[in-house]
Amino acid sequence: MTSMTTSALLRRPVLRLRRMPKLDRAAFAMVGLLLLTVAFGPLLAPYDPYHVDLGQAMLPPGAEHWLGTDSSGRDVLSRVLYGARPTILGSLCAVGLSALIGVTVASLAALAPRWVDDAIMRICDIALSLPIMVMALGISVALGPSLRSAIIAMVLSWWPSFTRLARAEIRTTMTSTYVESAVITGVSRWRLMTRHVLPNSLDSVYVQVTLEIGGATLIMAGLSFIGAGAQPPSAEWGAMVESGSRFLTSAWWTAVVPGAVITLTALAFALAGDALRARTSGREVM
Amino acid sequence: MSRTLLAVDGLGKTFASRDRGEPVKAVDDVSFTLDQGETLGLVGESGSGKSTITRCLVGLERPDTGTVTYDGFDVLRAGRDERRRFRREVQLVFQNPYASLNPRMTVEDLVGEQLLVHQGRRSREGRRERVVEVLEMVGLTGAHLPRYPAQFSGGQRQRIAIARALVSEPKVLICDEPVSALDVSVQAQVINLLRAMRRELGLTVLFIAHDLAVVRQLCDRLLVLKDGRVVEEGSREQVYGAPAHEYTRALLAAVPIPDPAADRARRRHYQESR
Repeated sequence: MTSMTTSALLRRPVLRLRRMPKLDRAAFAMVGLLLLTVAFGPLLAPYDPYHVDLGQAMLPPGAEHWLGTDSSGRDVLSRVLYGARPTILGSLCAVGLSALIGVTVASLAALAPRWVDDAIMRICDIALSLPIMVMALGISVALGPSLRSAIIAMVLSWWPSFTRLARAEIRTTMTSTYVESAVITGVSRWRLMTRHVLPNSLDSVYVQVTLEIGGATLIMAGLSFIGAGAQPPSAEWGAMVESGSRFLTSAWWTAVVPGAVITLTALAFALAGDALRARTSGREVM
Repeated sequence: MSRTLLAVDGLGKTFASRDRGEPVKAVDDVSFTLDQGETLGLVGESGSGKSTITRCLVGLERPDTGTVTYDGFDVLRAGRDERRRFRREVQLVFQNPYASLNPRMTVEDLVGEQLLVHQGRRSREGRRERVVEVLEMVGLTGAHLPRYPAQFSGGQRQRIAIARALVSEPKVLICDEPVSALDVSVQAQVINLLRAMRRELGLTVLFIAHDLAVVRQLCDRLLVLKDGRVVEEGSREQVYGAPAHEYTRALLAAVPIPDPAADRARRRHYQESR
């Protein structure tokens, strides 16, 4: 029958956590920790992330500055904690908006005449043939590099992949008997999509969103690293790696710490998404 | 004579073959009428066009030729109001209750959907009242309202599907093999329910099946289909007593008889009659 729903997964979280493999548990714990950092990071930061003190520059990790200071004497730990917001929240926004647009376009395509549907899907194919990073880089630079441009650029280059996924799922759901039953009943197209088709089509989109957040974090940080995203001196992980990379030999922690955090974030979201996918495919409801 | 409620005339539907072979004539010039209050059985093996006829009737498939007339108007060319009336008064019970109920909707929403669509003015309480009424008619209770289809057995699900069909007080019920997906032990219960509903609500029923034993219990009249064509039509007594067509005899001979001796006797009889 239908695969287990994401909501069913969330219904008994404690029980399910206990039965989970260690790696999955670690991934979900890491994701939870990252989200907490997004929420409360600035409260936990011991120093002002923008306070420049050249006398304290490039201090190695120690008792006073746990993760050291950068070339301008700013506390790396504080900057990493502050940086969770632009990087992770930015990625969440980018992926969430992409999914929203993707699903909406897919729904419209599913209801539209055949040729409109075909046209939309071909446009998506063309958009998908370009690497997201390259598209996003071009758009972001054209808009004028900033965090907001980076998010807009990512949404513009990412939504077609969600349209593809959602369209395929919707196509399958549309042929199911219960959708035909609703059509016979004479329900409106709005009700058909929102009550019958989408709730039974979006499980894989939810999973894909989780999986993609990791990738989005990499691209977000990547754009900032190249200079097409958040600009220095803002505390964004990609930008921090970039400015730290110049001192790799003399003060490795300025680049390695934010770099490691980016890696961990991408890994955690990817593993969590994978675990979700494994859990939602081929299982009965309840 | 009772009046004709639903008339199908010269219905035809051809599908393009999947591997570019000859197009398949799923339904070929099928005509029949359904009189008020009667139960007509549509019988044939799989691939005989039964499902395509059903799908054409309810508007899931557009026939290439022919007309469907309901209570005096042409269904295929009907205006908005007439189509709404048709949708309300002609209901379909699907074959497989594991597929025909949206797994993400509660029993209340599933059964009440008709009311929401066709009588949106009713309040939520008004709808619930009617849903409970229908649920009790089919042997379920108000306690089942907040549950999801996955929490029910096949027989119960088919009861929900029947409740869903009956909630808008239809005149015609089309049953597309409503028991063939169920356990044998449950089949009789659902058949009895359909029979009781027909009697109590004065329903006109189009009953589609491949199982002649089931049809015999329910139908006044029979239509036998083969390769999209009607090969035999008649009252129950005629068709079961003296089948005219070779194919009907073959179908009848395939019905198992629980008594081995009687079964052997019949087989002998069938062999000799050939």
